[in-house]
Amino acid sequence: MNNSQTKSQFVAVASIAAELSAVMDVAKEISLAAANAKAIAFRAGEKAKGFQPITDFINELAKETIELVNDINEHALLLYQLTVNEYRTASAYNKLQEVNTLAVEARYSETLHPSLQHASEQNLECRKHFNQHVSLLLDQLGEVMHPARAARVIAANSRIEASQAGEYLQSLQAVAESVDHAAQIIHEKVQKCRSALNVINLSEAA
Amino acid sequence: MQMTKIYEGAYQWIMFARDPNKPEKIIDTNQYVVRTGKRCLLLDPGGVELFAPMLAAVLHHAPVEEITDLFASHQDPDIISSLGLWDQALPHAKLHAPELWEGFLRHFGCETIEYVGIPDNGGVIQLDSVELKLIPAHYLHSSANFNVYDPEAKILMSGDIGAALEESGTPMFVDDFDAHVEKMRFFHQRWMPSNQAKRVWIERVRELDIDIMAPQHGRIFKGDDVKKFLDWFEALQVGIAV
Ligand SMILES: [Fe+2]
Ligand SMILES: [Fe+2]
Repeated sequence: MNNSQTKSQFVAVASIAAELSAVMDVAKEISLAAANAKAIAFRAGEKAKGFQPITDFINELAKETIELVNDINEHALLLYQLTVNEYRTASAYNKLQEVNTLAVEARYSETLHPSLQHASEQNLECRKHFNQHVSLLLDQLGEVMHPARAARVIAANSRIEASQAGEYLQSLQAVAESVDHAAQIIHEKVQKCRSALNVINLSEAA
Repeated sequence: MQMTKIYEGAYQWIMFARDPNKPEKIIDTNQYVVRTGKRCLLLDPGGVELFAPMLAAVLHHAPVEEITDLFASHQDPDIISSLGLWDQALPHAKLHAPELWEGFLRHFGCETIEYVGIPDNGGVIQLDSVELKLIPAHYLHSSANFNVYDPEAKILMSGDIGAALEESGTPMFVDDFDAHVEKMRFFHQRWMPSNQAKRVWIERVRELDIDIMAPQHGRIFKGDDVKKFLDWFEALQVGIAV
């Protein structure tokens, strides 16, 4: 692994962490919107009857997203540790090769070989681990897309239900809008995470 | 890397210094190695930049598997920022370093090397049949800081105490004490924070029988120059930046 690859890997992992914490904020917003909607629907009574189960649904989706993002965060943290390990093993391996060149004339130069071997194996091991976790993370990011997509469908339904809620129309529509908007943002952020991960994969192939 | 034997008996002390390939802007350091029959101890093994030349130089004296111990007098980067690399190269070694600095030093990477914390009142490093004493030198300059004393070779490895900032490629030994003083003054006045700590250390060290005082920067003191150093240091006001 060369220096610029390591750098881009660190940057990618850090930007994933940043996107994820933004997803988390948005998921929390959705859950707040759901609580709001529930209160409005309660006040609206009969007029917003169709709206009540929808608010529970939105709340479920927000919870699901938060849980998923928590899992993903753990993974991203692991990915960061693996990046640090890989950086350490790679620089150790490079340095040991340097020692090997410098020590050609040294009496015990041969005794370096097990360490070199070990460092190279460790580095490969780290890389393998890293790649495994990148593909796991990609799967998990795919899963986050599901509740976000479902939220958009529900938002569309909410609009229809809201239209029958008389004087509550506007506030319920606002709820539907904000859920839709939040779901869109999650979608975007998750896409960004995925393309950051793809940058890592690309740099590895290079 | 130049190698100089400073003690030769049933075991050896070797000084590694004046690396010609050292990048210009990093401070020049002296590394010391104690080599016994089956073991090898590196004292203040140095910064990341020095790892490769240092290990390559040590391989003239010992095989990798016999480099069993590292010692760090304190936490500074010029002392031990190479730790993460030794950690990969020497999976079975021990690091003897101040207990107080453990949580900090681990930032350099210390996964496989065993961290043996030195308590504030000191301790020993047993290397085959050689017993090296760890003498407290706290606040000189680091808040948890040790010297290594070898009663048989009569060597005191004094870390930053006795350090001098000089041009690269200077001789290994002090030859003119009075001239050398000017190269030490600012370093000691500015880096050493406590006159009290200095007094206590001088008292402690005056009890020891020392032929050679070996600092981590600059030149080695021999014979009478050791005593001259202690007298000079005693009279020096330190902690001048406040
Ligand atoms: Fe220091
Ligand atoms: Fe130093």
